[in-house]
Order: sequence, then C-alpha cells, then structure tokens
Amino acid sequence: MTEKFYYDNKIVRNFAIATIVWGIIGMTVGLLIAMQLFKPALNMGSQYTTFGRIRPLHTNAVIFAFVGNAIFMGVYYSLQRLLKARMFSDVLSKIHFWGWQLIIVSAVITLPLGFTSSHEYAELEWPIDIAITVIWVVFGINMFGTIIKRREKHMYVAIWFYIATFVTVAVLHIVNSFQLPISAFKSYYLYAGVQDALVQWWYGHNAVAFFLTTPYLGMMYYFLPKMAQRPIYSYKLSILHFWSLIFIYIWAGPHHLLYTSLPGWAQSLGVAFSIMLIAPSWGGMINGLLTLRGAWDKVREDATLKFMVVGLTAYGMATFEGPMLALKQINAIAHYTDWIVAHVHVGALGWNGFLTFGILYWLIPRIYRTSLYSKKLASFHFWIGTLGIIFYAVPLYFAGFTQGLMWKEFTEEGMLRYPNFLETVLQIVPMYVLRAIGGALYLIGVIVMTYNLFKTVGTGKLLANEPAEAMPLPEKYVAQGSDKKLHRVLERKPMVFLVLSLIVILIGGVIEMMPTFTIKSNIPTISSVKPYTPLELQGRDVYIKEGCVSCHSQMIRPFRSETERYGEYSKAGEFVYDHPHLWGSKRTGPDLQREGGKYGNVWHFNHLLDPQTMSPGSIMPPYEWLITQTLDTTTTRSKINAMRTLGVPYAEGYEHKANRDLDIQAKEIAEDLQKNNIKVKSDKEIIALIAYLQRLGTDIKAK
Amino acid sequence: MNDILIWALLFVAVSILIAAILVLRVIKIYVQQSLNPTYFATAEEREKHRLAQEELAAAQPEKKSLWTWLLGLRPLSEEKDLVMEHEFDGISELDNPTPAWFMVLFYGTILFAVGYMFNYHVMGWGQSQEQEYATELQQAEEDRIALLQKPGGGGANKINENNVEASTDKAVLQAGGALFKNVCTPCHGEHGEGIVGPNLTDDYWLHGGTVKDIFKTIKYGVPEKGMIAWEKSMNAKQISDITSYVMSLKGSNPPGAKAPQGKKE
Repeated sequence: MTEKFYYDNKIVRNFAIATIVWGIIGMTVGLLIAMQLFKPALNMGSQYTTFGRIRPLHTNAVIFAFVGNAIFMGVYYSLQRLLKARMFSDVLSKIHFWGWQLIIVSAVITLPLGFTSSHEYAELEWPIDIAITVIWVVFGINMFGTIIKRREKHMYVAIWFYIATFVTVAVLHIVNSFQLPISAFKSYYLYAGVQDALVQWWYGHNAVAFFLTTPYLGMMYYFLPKMAQRPIYSYKLSILHFWSLIFIYIWAGPHHLLYTSLPGWAQSLGVAFSIMLIAPSWGGMINGLLTLRGAWDKVREDATLKFMVVGLTAYGMATFEGPMLALKQINAIAHYTDWIVAHVHVGALGWNGFLTFGILYWLIPRIYRTSLYSKKLASFHFWIGTLGIIFYAVPLYFAGFTQGLMWKEFTEEGMLRYPNFLETVLQIVPMYVLRAIGGALYLIGVIVMTYNLFKTVGTGKLLANEPAEAMPLPEKYVAQGSDKKLHRVLERKPMVFLVLSLIVILIGGVIEMMPTFTIKSNIPTISSVKPYTPLELQGRDVYIKEGCVSCHSQMIRPFRSETERYGEYSKAGEFVYDHPHLWGSKRTGPDLQREGGKYGNVWHFNHLLDPQTMSPGSIMPPYEWLITQTLDTTTTRSKINAMRTLGVPYAEGYEHKANRDLDIQAKEIAEDLQKNNIKVKSDKEIIALIAYLQRLGTDIKAK
Repeated sequence: MNDILIWALLFVAVSILIAAILVLRVIKIYVQQSLNPTYFATAEEREKHRLAQEELAAAQPEKKSLWTWLLGLRPLSEEKDLVMEHEFDGISELDNPTPAWFMVLFYGTILFAVGYMFNYHVMGWGQSQEQEYATELQQAEEDRIALLQKPGGGGANKINENNVEASTDKAVLQAGGALFKNVCTPCHGEHGEGIVGPNLTDDYWLHGGTVKDIFKTIKYGVPEKGMIAWEKSMNAKQISDITSYVMSLKGSNPPGAKAPQGKKE
C-alpha cells in the first residue's frame, strides 16, 4: 500500500524570494564598496556608510543572506524528494525561515552601527551569535526529523553533504563565538593573539568549505542530474571525494596565516593539506561535468545548464588556485593583495552565484506549474554574468600581482623602490574601476533574472502542497547483494553518519589547535609587552568599531621588504593581550603594527580628519565624527574587569582607578595638539584612537 | 622570486613535452602516409574502405592505450551495464570507477604533502621563515658591500651626516625642490612656511640649523614630535639634496608663515 503525502513548496518559494532579495541588496552594497575604493567621496561623509563599516555588511549579506537562503531553498526542495517525505514540521520550517531573516535584518542594523566582533565573516555580536545557533539547531532538527521519517531506505549523496554541512557549521560557529559579553552589543573573544588568529582562520576557511562548498555540492548532486536527465557519473567517486573533502578541508585554515607569527609547524600543516585538497575538490567538479556526458547538446540550448557548467568550471578553477595560493612562495606575493579578493569572487560569483541562478531558473517554473517567461532573458543573464565575472577577476588578478611585486621591489642601492605605500595604491586604482564595472554587469544580470522570474510567477500558480506517494519503509529490512557493502549500510544509518562526519571533521581542528593552546613554547613570552592603558584599550575598541582592520593589517611578515617599510617583524608574544587579534587579511592601506611613534599626534589628527591633506591622493575616507563624538568612559570599568577575567594582568581594583589614568593620558594628547593650534576636548573618541595608534608596536624596541 | 621562476620553467618544460609528443604523432602519421599511401579511384571506394576499416575496428576488442586508461571513460553505449539499482527521485547513479588520472593526482598530492612536512620539520632541509629572513638580510648586506666596492657604485649612499655639504648648484636645488614638493609639503607647506611642522624659512631651529643637523633631522626623524625618519624611503643623495633646498629657503618670507619655534641660529 503506498502512502499519500504532500511536499511543502511554499517554504521553498519563501527561501527563493529571500535569496533574490538579499542577493540584490548584498551585491549592491558590494558594488558601493567597490566604487568607494576609487571614489572616496562615496563614503558619503557618514559613519554608517564608510567602507570599514559596510564591508562586513556586504560579506555577511552575500554569504549568510544570499547563499544561506539559497542553501535552505535547495535543501528544502531536494531533501523532501530524495527522502519521499514532507519536511518534519511546518512550524519548524516557518521558525527557521523567519528566524533566519530576522538574524539578517539584525546584521543589517548592527554592522553599520559599528557593533562588530571583528572576526572576519563572524562579525555579528554575541546576541546574534546565540540566535544563529538556535535557528541552526531548528534547521538541524527539521532536517533530521525528515530523515528519520523517510520513505527511502538509503540516503543519496546530496544528503551526505547536507549532514556534513549541518554538523560542521555548528561546530565552527560555536567554537568561533566564545566571547565574554561586557554589554548588550560588545564582547571580547576568549582567545587572544595567535590562538585567536588560528581559531578565526580555522573558522574562516571552513566557512568557505562547509557553507559555500559542501551544501552547494549537495545541491549540484541533486539538481544537475535532474536538469540534464542523466545519471550521476560515478558513485565510487562520490564516496571518495565526500569523505576526503570533509577530512582534509578542516586542516587547511593556517594557509591564511603563512609567514605570520603562527608557529611554523601549524603553517606547514596548512600548506600540506591545502595541496591534498585539489583532488577531493576536483572530484566534485568532474563528477558533475561527466554527468553531462551525452547531454552537451542540451547545454547548448539551455541557459540553466550553462549556468551549472560555468559554475562547476569556476569551482574547479578556484579549487586549483586555492592550493597554489597556499604554497608559501606564491602566498608571499599574493597575501594582503587583491589577488585574494579575485580568488574569492571567482568562487562566489562563479560557483555560488551561478549555481544559485541555475537552480532558481529550474525550480521556480516547476513549483509554479508553468514554464520560464523568457529563455532569451535567461540567456542574456548568463552572458552578462559571465562577462561580469571576467571583468571582475582579471583586473584584480593584475592589480594583486602588480601591487604584491611593487611592495617587494628594491633599487640597486638597497632601498625600497616604492617607499611610499600610496604609490602602489594609485598604480592599481584603474583596475578598481574595471572591477566595479564587472560587478555592475553581474548585478544587472541578477536584476534581469528577478524580472524574468517575477513574470514567470505571474503566468503560473504556486502549488503549495505537491501531492506525492511512496511505499512506507518495510518493518524489517534485509540487505541484499551490494546493499551489504559497508558504505551502503552507512547510508541507512543517519545518526551513525552524523557522528562519523563529526569525528572526521574534528580530527584536523583538534590536532592543530590543542598544541597551540596548551604548549607554551608556541608563543614565546616577551617581558616588555604590557597590557594596554585604559585609554588605549578604549581606542582599540574605536579601531574595531570603525572596521580599520578591513584595510589595515597588523602583522609584519619576516621579509626584508616589510621590515624596511614598517619596522621589525611581528612576534607571537606581542599579541598576548589582543582580544581579539587584529592581524587583518588585506592591505588596502599600509600595515599599522609599528605605527606607534612614527608620526606625531598632530599628523594623526589631521590624517583622520581628512586623509588627503597628509597623503594627497589617499583613498581613505575622512573620520570627522571621531572629533565630535565623546568617548563613552562608563564602559572602562567593565572592560578592565573583562580583560582581567580573560587573563590580562591588570592589578586587583585597578578598574576603579582606570578612568583617572585615562583622563591623564587623554589630556596629555589634547595638550600636545593644543600646542599646534588644534583645539579638541580630551574626552573625544579621536584622542583614544590616537593613543592606541601611538602605542602600536612600541613594546618591543625596534633596532 | 627564483622559486617562482623554477616553477614557471617546469610548467613550460612540461607544456613543451606535451606539444612535442603531439607533433611526433602527427609526423608518424605523415611518414606512414608518405611511405605507403592509400589511393582510391573514386569517392565511393574511399567510403567503402572507411566502412570496412570501421567494421574491423568494431570487431576487435578495444585496445587499452595509456590515454584511455588515464581517462578511465567507458563508451556511452556501455552505460546501461553500469547503472546501479538504486534510484533517488528519478536520479540513478553509474558504477564508474574513479578515473585513473584522478587517483594519480590524489596520491601525488599526498606524497607531496608528506615530503613537504619531511623537508621542513623532520629533516630540517627547508628553511624556517626566520632563517629565510636571516638569509635575505645577509644577501642584502653582501650586495651593499659589493656595490660600494664597484668603481662609482653606491655613490648616493656614501654621503652621511659627517660628510654632507650644502650645495647651491642649480640642478641640486631643483632636484631637492622636486622631492620637497613630493614629501615635505603636507607638513611644512608649499613654500616651507610651516603647517603641522615648523616654519623652515626663518632663523629659528628646533633641532639645529646647520647642514649636518638638518640632514640628520631628515634622515632619522624626530618621532616624538612627528617628524618622520626618511632614511628608509630616500637615499642619502636625495636627503642631502633636500637639505640643500631647505637651506636655500632661508629668509624667503612666504605668505602665511608660521610663528618661529626653537632657537635662533
């Protein structure tokens, strides 16, 4: 007797709408920050629209809002059909949907306000982190509930990827959210310096792996064979590349920290595992492309499949380039440059974007029981999108390579060829213009798609509950023939599968992190390194709030070209009181690790007020509000207490004296400015920021 | 830089090898055809011959060349034998083996990874980043000494605070003036009238007004006062040119001059 049931299409439709809306918003913000890099006036003179504040808005919007909703759309559609069951609970589906949108809205509000943890791609502050955890668990319960009540004995490969996604993202998010709250929207990370950097990039790299890659591979495994009506090329390959991918990916995080103060052994592990990642990643690509064997005539006709093919190809390129960038000789040039930005966007625009569009074009007409409004427009979208990617990536590769080499070049006399950092920036500004054009083309494509899908929806009607029927699972299952094989058995045991994935992904992280956290010799202590003064601590939080870390690194690598330009290279022991670390990953402006004492207070004041006066041609936005805004010193006590809790050696009871010391130091700076006819009250934010900048890197005496 | 060159060379070498193999195959076919050419009286005959050849080929079991082994692709006609019994929402899977080239790549990268760790952390052949840095500094020092020993080499860096002399030579003042416009004007003003930094055109000096003093001030900076140390950004010749230019500004009384600071000299 078959059972009748209904697939829930409404939730899929809702996630699809959210995907499109947030996609347009996220990409528009991206276009804005791209244009700010060659036209600083577009920072609009407001603190809520400066690059430092909205760059995280762009990344969070495209990763968690655009891609996130697309994942849920794809998972909710394919999971039900692969398991022959409606989603476990309509209520949970609704909570999941609205909860996720609420989280995104809170991100859109808090990030421009300057509430940030400053961990890249994990900038959202602690209350939102908790909300994300709750909603993620809701998603997990809903998914596993569906798996438990399935009418299909074995789990298809797409579901393996969904399970790995669920479990790993949970682990990453929780471990990278260990913060000590000091107020409703401010917290300090439990980790400091080197450990904090390692956790952050273990997280950051695996967000790429388990949020941008595994769920999309799962979706590729479902939607591509459906679109092409071809069988998956190789079941054996799926098994091999799934397990090797999730095991190896976790280890590769340290390749974001080559030549930094991270211990050498951890760096090398990151390199070695990154190289081993090529084949597992390519396994997904070739299994997809070979699935299209005998269907290439369809690819010629069908824009949907074209999106999938270019998406897979972009995935292949990005996953070959990643390991290459992880070789330290190449990384020495590429790190901190736009090369990395280009690399990321080949993945984001090509793989995530194009797969999402392909799935939308295929899925929307199906749940609306109609056909696509215009094949021509879809084809136009494909070509303008492809052109957009090329216009985005090629100039940035050129820019990154050029700037990386300019930073390193010496004259015959042993002087830096380009001692003025700004010179290397002005060299690549034209490339920034071309990149923005590429981004604009891509965005036009998305808008055309939105119109096309909107018209499509108009010609059909949503089949909210799609009827289906299937045999229930037999009471007793006796495995026959090939179903006795080990992996087949595993495919029948979702919970064992979950636990096994968890173990596989924990190994790499534990082996890299445990020694770094526990063995003292990894972080040699430096006795001259002292905690920040209260004013400097407050200034550091201004630095964090304004997102300075988006453009300024604080990590000088041991190269002659860097020590000549910035001063002594960074040592692990210098960062022991940095909760969180602020090493940064991009140098749009120069490194600031040894900024202390390089310039006078007056220079900093003028430079923050209007960077172009001190550095003609600079693309840094002005920060005049720092001069008018009063520093909130009511938080000093709780900040000192929190830092002491985290192991920073402030004396017992110092929190009561902290503000007195803060005032004294602030007055000194204000007086120094006064001498140079700059009248500014000592209680302004800019004073604290100057104090912090003047402290940077001064604890260890440079030669 | 050298490492990248080596990689690039390797890449080029491999590309040339592949190209050479292809060319070799073409030449082989060409030689075969020239030694015993196949002529056909009519197009029909040619077609007949072709069909016969094809039949012959079809009748013979497929020879496994290295290429087909590497690709590991089975002809589409055999696909039905590979379809596995399970279907998921209409999606079936084939029981194709993992392609051989893929496995070669995978095992190759694993070997590389093991070798990498061995090289840097077991055998200690590869240099740590700190050792690399020391090597780099040593090389730079050797280059510097070599340059100084070259006749006429490194002249620009032979100038220092002990032997610097002011010049009124027009070319020197022009060079110094150009540099001044580039680097000094944000703080000292277009004409040395002083903005953030002090006025450079009066008789008052904070850190001494002799040629040696000014040279030193520019070279090492006065960080606590906000004067930048320029020794990393400019060579000694450039610093001495600017020094000469600054000396030449004395008494020029530019508009908007800043009040005197320091001692009269």
